[in-house]
Amino acid sequence: MGLTVTASKTVPPGRLLTQVAGERQTGVLVVGGHPGGAVYVLEGRVIYAESPAAPGVGELLTASGRLAGRTWQNALDLGTSTARVGRLLVEQGHLTQGELELCVLGAIYDAAYFVLSSAAAPVEFLTGATHWLGPVVHVDPAAINREVGRRVGLLDEIFPDRRIDTAAVAPVTRPPRERVTLTSLQWELLVHADGQRTPADLALLLGRAGYATIQELRRMAAMGLLELPEARSETPEFVRLPRARGTAVDVERPVVRPQETPAVPVVAGARASVPAPDPPPDPPRHPLAEESGANQLVYRPPRLARRKPGAKLPKEVAGEPPPVHQGTDEVLLKRIRTALRALR
Amino acid sequence: MPGVDHCLQEAMAIPGAVGASIVDYTTGFPVATTGAAPNSDHEAAATGTADVVQAANSRSLYVSALPHDLLEDLIITTAGGYHLLRMVRTDFDSRLVLYVWLDRAQGNLAVARRRMQKLADELVAY
Repeated sequence: MGLTVTASKTVPPGRLLTQVAGERQTGVLVVGGHPGGAVYVLEGRVIYAESPAAPGVGELLTASGRLAGRTWQNALDLGTSTARVGRLLVEQGHLTQGELELCVLGAIYDAAYFVLSSAAAPVEFLTGATHWLGPVVHVDPAAINREVGRRVGLLDEIFPDRRIDTAAVAPVTRPPRERVTLTSLQWELLVHADGQRTPADLALLLGRAGYATIQELRRMAAMGLLELPEARSETPEFVRLPRARGTAVDVERPVVRPQETPAVPVVAGARASVPAPDPPPDPPRHPLAEESGANQLVYRPPRLARRKPGAKLPKEVAGEPPPVHQGTDEVLLKRIRTALRALR
Repeated sequence: MPGVDHCLQEAMAIPGAVGASIVDYTTGFPVATTGAAPNSDHEAAATGTADVVQAANSRSLYVSALPHDLLEDLIITTAGGYHLLRMVRTDFDSRLVLYVWLDRAQGNLAVARRRMQKLADELVAY
């Protein structure tokens, strides 16, 4: 069957889902934007949904240890081309039918929240496309749309700040209350939040549903346990630096200014070659070219701003905006990661 | 092969059962339903079910009084019926509860509780 692609248009994704479901179509609804994702429809019924912000069936099963990465990868290798990965796992006795159905249902509703909750996003429908997992469950699209709307409302009842859902999670270093009671998921999130990981990162890392993760983060924000995104950057951040946790760790190097430090003859020569306060990088010098003797010139590596792991490039350097369908790229990356895990 | 639908069919075979569902208790969403629901509304019933489980799980001190002391089931009796909630524990991340509504005159609480325990276990294990 040939694939037909509808022109990408910016509409509420839920409305297009209702439309293709009404026409009893088969294919995939690809939703752009952030986080974006895809909803797979078989004869008007939803059989799968995926989003970079929600762990898929593979991530849920392997991150929890329910399946070994190798088992999952074998099922992918065998069943992807014929779209029966789910059935294989049950037939080979790795999962019960009940487990598979519950896992797929959970993954569908979880991803659907991220794919369908945006009011407007670039959406296209690829007629005829099918998912490698195969049809495990068939869900009424109207029920999904209704549930997505309800989940949006539930979050706003807890703490109406959508930035919590995407910003890097930074717990406050001193809670604003004498006693804090946490659920076990909240504990897991706090322990793994390092100021760099976004809610989506944490959900994938822990194999927890993306929506449940956001729900607990909003609850913690309501308790005052998280720093709110606006309070974090006093100045526009070109490079996202790791945040200090507690007082023991200080990621900011003290700026050395010659006039503030006592002049020590031995290093004064070296200092003088570095103009304060904002030194341009020294021309690269070979350590062997270093002078020794009376003036004791000490070699100093050029002071280039070092890119921290996980930091984003400044906008001028990064240049190109991300492609519209970044979601599909990330889905591909997730599959590659699952494959790599299986090799461990 | 026992799937979700089969599990609910079996639940309806419990003497006195008038309705059954599997509910995601973080969102109050009925993942699967069959038979009758209080006030003929499975979605509203699921929301209420979620509230009850949340109250027992996180807002009361009965659960986790000891390490690994997890919630197993909740039983609510009314003049006309029994409402049984059984936690469905999966290895992967989920927050599910099996709910069965029994007619008081025909239902047997002890029998129903045993049957639901077996159903919830069989759904996710061999």
